[in-house]
Amino acid sequence: MAPTKDTMFRSADMSLTQLYIANEIGREVVSALGELGVMDFRDLNSETSAFQRTFTQEIRRLDNVERQLRYFHSQMDKASIPMRSIYDFNNPFISPKASEIDELADKSQSLENRISSLNESYETLKKREVELTEWRWVLREAGGFFDRARGQTEEIRHSLDNDDAPLLQDVEQSGQGEAAADRSFSVMNIGFVAGVIPRERIAAFERILWRTLRGNLYMNQSEIPEAIINPETNEEVSKNVFIIFAHGKEIIAKIRKISESLGADLYSVDENSELRRDQIREVNTRLSDLASVLKNTKSTLDAELTAIGRSLAAWMVIIKKEKATYQTLNKFSYDHQRKTLIAEAWAPTNYLGLIKSTLRDVNDQAGLSVPTIVNQIKTTKTPPTYFKTNRFTLAFQTIIDAYGTIKYREVNPALPTIVTFPFLFAVMFGDFGHGIILLTAALAMIYYERKLQRSKLDELFSMIFYGRYIVFMMGIFSMYTGLLYCDAFSKELPIFKSMWKWTENDDGSLGPTATRVEGYTYPFGLDWRWHDTDNDLLFSNSYKMKLSILLGWCHMTFSLGWSLVNALYFSTPIDIWGNFVPGMIFFQSIFGYLSFTIVYKWCVDWAARGQNPPSLLNMLIYMFLQPGTLENPDQPLYKGQAGIQVVLLLLAVICVPILLFLKPFYLRYEHNKARALGYRGIGENTRVSALDDDDEEGQNLNGGRESFGDDDDGIAMITQDIGHGGEHEEFEFSEVMIHQVIHTIEFCLNCVSHTASYLRLWALSLAHQRLSIVLWEMTMKIAFGFTGITGAIIMVVVFYMWFALTVAVLCVMEGTSAMLHSLRLHWVEAMSKHFIGDGVPFEPFSFKVLLEEEPVE
Amino acid sequence: MANGWAPFIGLIVLAIFCAGAWFGSPKGENQTIWRSTLLLSAVSMYLMWAITFLAQLHPLISPIREDIRNLGH
Repeated sequence: MAPTKDTMFRSADMSLTQLYIANEIGREVVSALGELGVMDFRDLNSETSAFQRTFTQEIRRLDNVERQLRYFHSQMDKASIPMRSIYDFNNPFISPKASEIDELADKSQSLENRISSLNESYETLKKREVELTEWRWVLREAGGFFDRARGQTEEIRHSLDNDDAPLLQDVEQSGQGEAAADRSFSVMNIGFVAGVIPRERIAAFERILWRTLRGNLYMNQSEIPEAIINPETNEEVSKNVFIIFAHGKEIIAKIRKISESLGADLYSVDENSELRRDQIREVNTRLSDLASVLKNTKSTLDAELTAIGRSLAAWMVIIKKEKATYQTLNKFSYDHQRKTLIAEAWAPTNYLGLIKSTLRDVNDQAGLSVPTIVNQIKTTKTPPTYFKTNRFTLAFQTIIDAYGTIKYREVNPALPTIVTFPFLFAVMFGDFGHGIILLTAALAMIYYERKLQRSKLDELFSMIFYGRYIVFMMGIFSMYTGLLYCDAFSKELPIFKSMWKWTENDDGSLGPTATRVEGYTYPFGLDWRWHDTDNDLLFSNSYKMKLSILLGWCHMTFSLGWSLVNALYFSTPIDIWGNFVPGMIFFQSIFGYLSFTIVYKWCVDWAARGQNPPSLLNMLIYMFLQPGTLENPDQPLYKGQAGIQVVLLLLAVICVPILLFLKPFYLRYEHNKARALGYRGIGENTRVSALDDDDEEGQNLNGGRESFGDDDDGIAMITQDIGHGGEHEEFEFSEVMIHQVIHTIEFCLNCVSHTASYLRLWALSLAHQRLSIVLWEMTMKIAFGFTGITGAIIMVVVFYMWFALTVAVLCVMEGTSAMLHSLRLHWVEAMSKHFIGDGVPFEPFSFKVLLEEEPVE
Repeated sequence: MANGWAPFIGLIVLAIFCAGAWFGSPKGENQTIWRSTLLLSAVSMYLMWAITFLAQLHPLISPIREDIRNLGH
């Protein structure tokens, strides 16, 4: 087999390979293949659940390690310790040995224990500290309360005795009952409860106490000025100190219960001021001890986390790869003796050599005598579609893949899209200045590519960044079309001598009409004299409308041509004679003819002929409604116009039934012929399972694959296509017919609607041009009217405004809209002409892809 | 009428460029991309230029500008 070069034009040539890997080196082989990233492994155990597979145990273990690593990461986030970036490692992509993984797992286990115990003790200490702080506040505040309350023992008792007396009466009049101050509360059987409570609960707390105790209490409270930090949640809570005096043990017990249920923390306070002072002193010493212990714990924890942070990213990558390796190994099947792993994978044929040499290397390293065997299998399965992309082509390929997966070996529409997509965009976006802005932005993104790739971008910008090469092409083409439209920020670009001269009047003034410089046509783009004229829209509309039709015709003919290439490649001549040829004739006899007449009309010097040019629109209408007649029979576009139009119309009409009937009837004829000869579809009557049969038959049934006969019969399934399913479809005439009817109707109607659809090129370019003119006139033109210092200031301000609006509205907004329209022209108008697109995407097992999808930040 | 030949001259230039791009494209795995991109770009740019040129070859209307009197001389 001569290896062909893989290009972007068609999917790479894929082959289904079977690997026989010695059990001992399974992990190493898969890991090496993951680094290579060119094999799409098929799941050979799809009927077993995730738990029944061979390596579930290993995956579970790795899951645990991954969880531990995530825990370290979250702890580092909490302590705001930075993780060493993945890009700072020299080579984090070396696949480790199994023993190293074990080591890593053990290490992470012990580290987790250490970190969590440190954390735990830190949290307990912190909690203790909070408690002590609260207690200190209570002690401090309580002193004041006691002093005040002592002065009011009389009233308190009074109020308790007398239900009518209002509570807290004359709080301000403290100091009145100094005589009673020395009397102890206990003597009067007054108990108290002291504690702290979150500030937002204080109102509810008071209300509940009041209701349940019917006012039989004396409550005092004050706010703690600093917020208290909850060590568990790290949230700041502002709290109040309260102290409640009440009469009787039951009531005190009740108050305790209520306070605890409302989340208050109660602290013991002594009513004796001496003892209280001692308590405060003790709390203070304990607090300072605690602070030093806390500091030590924290610094140990931080040091530990910093040490982890130095290699955490690498560990994460290693574990991720390891897990993916085992998940892939789970897709493999075993031979009967469970000595050999059997894998099936799709791989690009051109990479087989590389795969083989990689496997040999792994084998040599392991020092195994049994080689890993790579077999190519012939199969009827559809191979996956694979295009090798690079930085430049990736975004274009994504545009096409977003529409549908390309059929295997079909023409890849992404290749022409590299040019046509930005070009059609530019036709709508044509402005030299705006093109420069786009190009500059794209070049900046390409220049800082590496840096931007590594930094986190917001969603919108990352999308633009992803399409930076599209923007680059768009910028180039926009500059070109801008030059052709002679627009730069809506101003003209007088590059060449104009083909128009203003008529000179007798009084020396100019205009309003112009005459043509004899025998001279403006060589490049639109003449700049058209700018700001009264009838420039009349001219540019006619020009842009025809431009759209002509470009649309070119694009669609080009796209239709690919269907011929596809039919030739897949050698289905019926698609050429039944679809392509009649379709092409139909399209060209109507719209090809229209394009021809447009160009022809331009080429004729109607003034020299002394003839009024016929209207093309009316011509087309007459061609259909009254074939054979012209609007002005005495003034035809060319001689014999009527006759030619009748012939073209007949051609188009004849093509419709051909398009409709040829393919389905031909397919039916083929099918019947095959049946008459006695052929049956595979699995139509009997389904023979290759796995149940003996070796010989199995091989014959599967199309004579390479056999691998030097092994004993233990490995009987060796060259069988494991999990072979019948993909054969039965021929159903009605289905084919209906399909073709739909195709015919769609094609004929679409020829009309798609041609009209290309008029969006005109509409959007008109809108873009008008908008930029309006923007100029509303800002810069007004600013030019001012002179002097004010003029200069206004100029600067207005210039920035104009520039900002140009970028935001004209480049970003208009650009997005033009891009979407260009996208539509590709997906609908162009791809409907040739795209088959029922392919299977190639999803290789690749560590690189894996790490791109789930980045280790 | 000498002007009318310009699109054909352009066509020759285009053909020469395309031939140059076809054979001059850097060899390697990206050769197809180079070739297709250069050729298609050249063709589409030529097409648009030619259409614009032809549209002005025998213009049916000429510019009219009332305010030109105030601007001139």
